[in-house]
Amino acid sequence: MSRPPLALLIPAVLLALGVLALFLFTFFPGGEPVSPYLARDAAGETGAANLVAGVYLNYRLYDTLFEVLVFAVAVIGVRYYLVGQKEGAAPPIPESPVVRTAADLLFSPLLLIGVYLVLFGHLSPGGGFAGGVVGGSGLLLCAIGLGGEVIARRFHETALERAEWLILAGFLLLLLVPVLFGAAPGTNLLPQGTVGNPVSGGTIVIYNILIGAKVFIGTWVVIYYFTRHRGEV
Amino acid sequence: MGIVIAVVLLGIAILGLVLRRDLIFKLLSLGVLNSGAVLFLVSLGDRAGGTAPIVRGPGPAAYVDPLPQALVLSAIVIDFAVLAVALVFAMLLVERYHTTDSVRIEEEVTKELYR
Repeated sequence: MSRPPLALLIPAVLLALGVLALFLFTFFPGGEPVSPYLARDAAGETGAANLVAGVYLNYRLYDTLFEVLVFAVAVIGVRYYLVGQKEGAAPPIPESPVVRTAADLLFSPLLLIGVYLVLFGHLSPGGGFAGGVVGGSGLLLCAIGLGGEVIARRFHETALERAEWLILAGFLLLLLVPVLFGAAPGTNLLPQGTVGNPVSGGTIVIYNILIGAKVFIGTWVVIYYFTRHRGEV
Repeated sequence: MGIVIAVVLLGIAILGLVLRRDLIFKLLSLGVLNSGAVLFLVSLGDRAGGTAPIVRGPGPAAYVDPLPQALVLSAIVIDFAVLAVALVFAMLLVERYHTTDSVRIEEEVTKELYR
């Protein structure tokens, strides 16, 4: 097989990207741009001090719904394709006391930071996805320090799966509840409170908690299956 | 500046995707490609002297555009999902053909098909 001519490829790629960038810079349709509108009105309309959280959990909630669905499908894919595979030898637990002590010391703070990021995602940088991943990386640290099986024994596999489906169902139900009151699906009907208060933003906090739990469980499932099925090449 | 770095990252990633033969390197390039796209979109929403789009007090402030940041969140999560599933497929291929070289895997598959 002949290698593609390198000298031609680089300029072609850069040229294509340059044309794309130029197109994006020059093409602005008329009317008020979204950015000033969001900066002026978004906090008042959504009740979330974090404008990004206000956008992806209020204005563009469907985006987030399908994002969560894509995440769920990926977790299902990892589980489906690896569950029938032969397992590698049990991962050796490192004897290094440094890793074990670090895992013991850091696990609780990481979990705490994850919960904080989830609960205050509408006020400060953070949110469900970031918080869930932080908690999941705490579990990864424990899996490295103590071995994945030790932690897996504490989680009931079927219970985890059930929790995942319950969270998804809760997300969809919460999305559909406004229909009962004659509003469009996903409308934020809870009182929005004062911008900047911990209790503000209406349903944004609930969505953040659901997403955080979903991402936490999903991250753990991916980590667990990857550590259990690493084989020898 | 961010856009320049993003375009360079995208170029490196596309070259890696096309030219590297190792499956794992291809997946790493996919990750870099996603980072380049993320950086590009976030840089588009940037403005001179803008602050993070978090309301700290009453009155208007020079926030950067929060919309691309919210959109990019989807890209990050979907990149994670794609990488996880792609790594699983790479694991299955390695299990079967005992190599991560995409060209050799292709040869083996062709051999199996036309035997």
